[in-house]
Amino acid sequence: MKRIVRYVGVALASLAVAALSANAANWTAGMKEGPVALKSAGPLAFGPEGILFVADTKAAALVAIDTGDTKAAADGKLLKVDGINQKIAALLGTAADQILISDMVVNPTSRNAYLAVARGRGPDATAVIVRVKVDGQLELFPLDKVKSSRGELPDAPVEAISGQSVRQSNPRQESITDIAFLEDRLLIAGLSNEEFSSTLRAIPFPFKTVGKGTSVEIYHGAHGKFETRSPIRTFVPFKVGNEPTLLAAYTCTPLVQFPIKELQPGAKIKGKTVAELGNRNRPIDMIVYQKDGKDYLLLANNSRGIMKITTDSIEQTESITDPVRDGGKKGLSYETIEAWKGVDQLDRFDKQHAAVLRRGEGGALNLESLALP
Amino acid sequence: MVALQSELHPAAPASEPPFRHSIRWIPDTSEKNRVVVEVTGFNKAELAELHKAPRTIQQWQRILSVYAAQGDVISDIGLPAMAGAYSVTANALRFEPQFAFASGVKYRLAFHPSQLPGARGGTSKSISSEFQLPVRRSIPTAVVSRVHPTADVLPENLLKFYVHFSAPMSGGHVYEHIHLRNDAGKDVELPFLEIDEELWNPAMTRLTLFIDPGRIKRGVLPLEEIGPALEEGKRYSLVIDKEWKDADGVPMKESFAKVFRVGPPDREAIDTARWKLSPPSGDLAPLVVAFPKPLDHALAQRLIHVTRQSGELVEGRAGVEDYERRWTFVPDNPWKPGPYRLVVQTTIEDLAGNNIGKSFEVDLFEGVQRRITNSTVKFPFEIRAP
Repeated sequence: MKRIVRYVGVALASLAVAALSANAANWTAGMKEGPVALKSAGPLAFGPEGILFVADTKAAALVAIDTGDTKAAADGKLLKVDGINQKIAALLGTAADQILISDMVVNPTSRNAYLAVARGRGPDATAVIVRVKVDGQLELFPLDKVKSSRGELPDAPVEAISGQSVRQSNPRQESITDIAFLEDRLLIAGLSNEEFSSTLRAIPFPFKTVGKGTSVEIYHGAHGKFETRSPIRTFVPFKVGNEPTLLAAYTCTPLVQFPIKELQPGAKIKGKTVAELGNRNRPIDMIVYQKDGKDYLLLANNSRGIMKITTDSIEQTESITDPVRDGGKKGLSYETIEAWKGVDQLDRFDKQHAAVLRRGEGGALNLESLALP
Repeated sequence: MVALQSELHPAAPASEPPFRHSIRWIPDTSEKNRVVVEVTGFNKAELAELHKAPRTIQQWQRILSVYAAQGDVISDIGLPAMAGAYSVTANALRFEPQFAFASGVKYRLAFHPSQLPGARGGTSKSISSEFQLPVRRSIPTAVVSRVHPTADVLPENLLKFYVHFSAPMSGGHVYEHIHLRNDAGKDVELPFLEIDEELWNPAMTRLTLFIDPGRIKRGVLPLEEIGPALEEGKRYSLVIDKEWKDADGVPMKESFAKVFRVGPPDREAIDTARWKLSPPSGDLAPLVVAFPKPLDHALAQRLIHVTRQSGELVEGRAGVEDYERRWTFVPDNPWKPGPYRLVVQTTIEDLAGNNIGKSFEVDLFEGVQRRITNSTVKFPFEIRAP
């Protein structure tokens, strides 16, 4: 539910660096110092230079925060915080069952972890960002005086239903299921609580006051005959050959690939289904990493543990067009890492490690770094 | 550091009692359950020192901390102190927690005079104090007020339920409390699209439950292997457990069940040519539109409007009735003779997610328009002069 793009293969990384140097001085352009009011804190992503993106679903907005957290971490230090849910609850002065952690990202430079947390579980919950330093210290990230800017979600729902005299508040809300920063824009996957549709939006960063960004509908079908706009659960930018693409994991488990260049305003895109990851399965988070010169995807699921997916053959993989039967996996091959059980959140920690939030014994939630498989 | 300060500021006179400091938990009326902590009883030298140097949060916390207990004293070792701001008044050290206190939580204060500037190297005893808000209301009142669709026969490829509650609810792990049960009382396995973000309305009085599209869409793995969530000809109940807590943390008053039978799947696009519009007779009479098949309640409420011929929106009150097969609209001001339009956005859905002119499952992608069009269908109607 968060993505950092810089680890996505060597070629794309160099592309990102090129973009970065071209804009080097401008990333904080348009940011103002002052308090940041978050109505909610959903998916997180890090951009360049310690800029943290927070998806504020309730406000239908993306907030970019200059964390100033740009000091490189010393190599070799790993994260380990047991019972982090209780520690966060203590910091926020409440009980552990009164907090909800919606996302966790690791600052790729400092390797401090940032968690989007709701204090309270009702409509009046307070959204906060908790920072866990590599040494295990927790702190409330101060939102009262930071440099930030704000991008509105294109085509966001209006607050009231027009034409209705009672001006009842609009019950429609668009949930943001994942965000990622790519070169000079923020990609946002969303899902409405009314229409069944999957939108992927791209808004330029630094945020501009004009320009509504891109909104596309992505179709995919595992069968070839029928296509729907299914909701994207989690996605990562990934380079296939020379082509920057997005790999999106859908709620009904196919892994779908489509070229980023097709993300044009108003376009309808057909994705290529490159893997069927089995049923009774719900993708949670996805990261990309390299090991022994090869690119791998690591996908956390609610029921199947962690899947390590080989991407070698992604270019040659034909779109899956027939129903997959009998236990089913097709397309890219994967292995299930059984030892990684109970993972709620997943992100890259460093080149050799992932950071995970996972349930341990007695239901305690632990934050730890695990060696990448 | 303490020793150095002791040298600069001579220790307090030996005649001072060991517990001269006192702790007060003060309700702050600016916000419900907000509590401020004050420590008093400082001597002049201590106050002068407290006023003097700016301190980091960590330095303040060594002197005074408030902990929100998570278990017993032993398991609470290593918990961080509650976030908040420190200040020094004319005679007190003050801690303002950043958040209001939560009922049911025990707050422990630890004050360490030995860490005060000028203290005699750790000989003063620490003081602790506990505080707890009175236990809150615990009488269950919240109920499921209704579920849409309201019909008792639903299509096999039903796409969603809307569960409405009488009060704001608490989110997080909601799917544990929701079951789709077959006639034998057995839970259907993973019938819903379980989304961590949970599809609430902003007030958290309505939850949208999508049936897992993998169990509806033809040709995808879950449907091939596990089968559809709902099967034609069978009966099911949508059950909501009363253990689900409202926004105040109180369980619901009673469990809820909606029993329904499953009819054939609906894979037809919405055909507005079959809608029947009955123009109002005038004044404040309702405009009535009847649909041959039920529509999605929320979308029918939101995506149908009435305008004048000029496009100007007519304000009024819309309702969806007769098992979501009828839409009514009563204007705020009496109808005026002349032409009007009923405007419907094509993204409106029926119970199976079919739109106007486009079914839920598109038969071959090539048949889909390549651009998103936010188009509408318009029905002209006329209010005649009396």
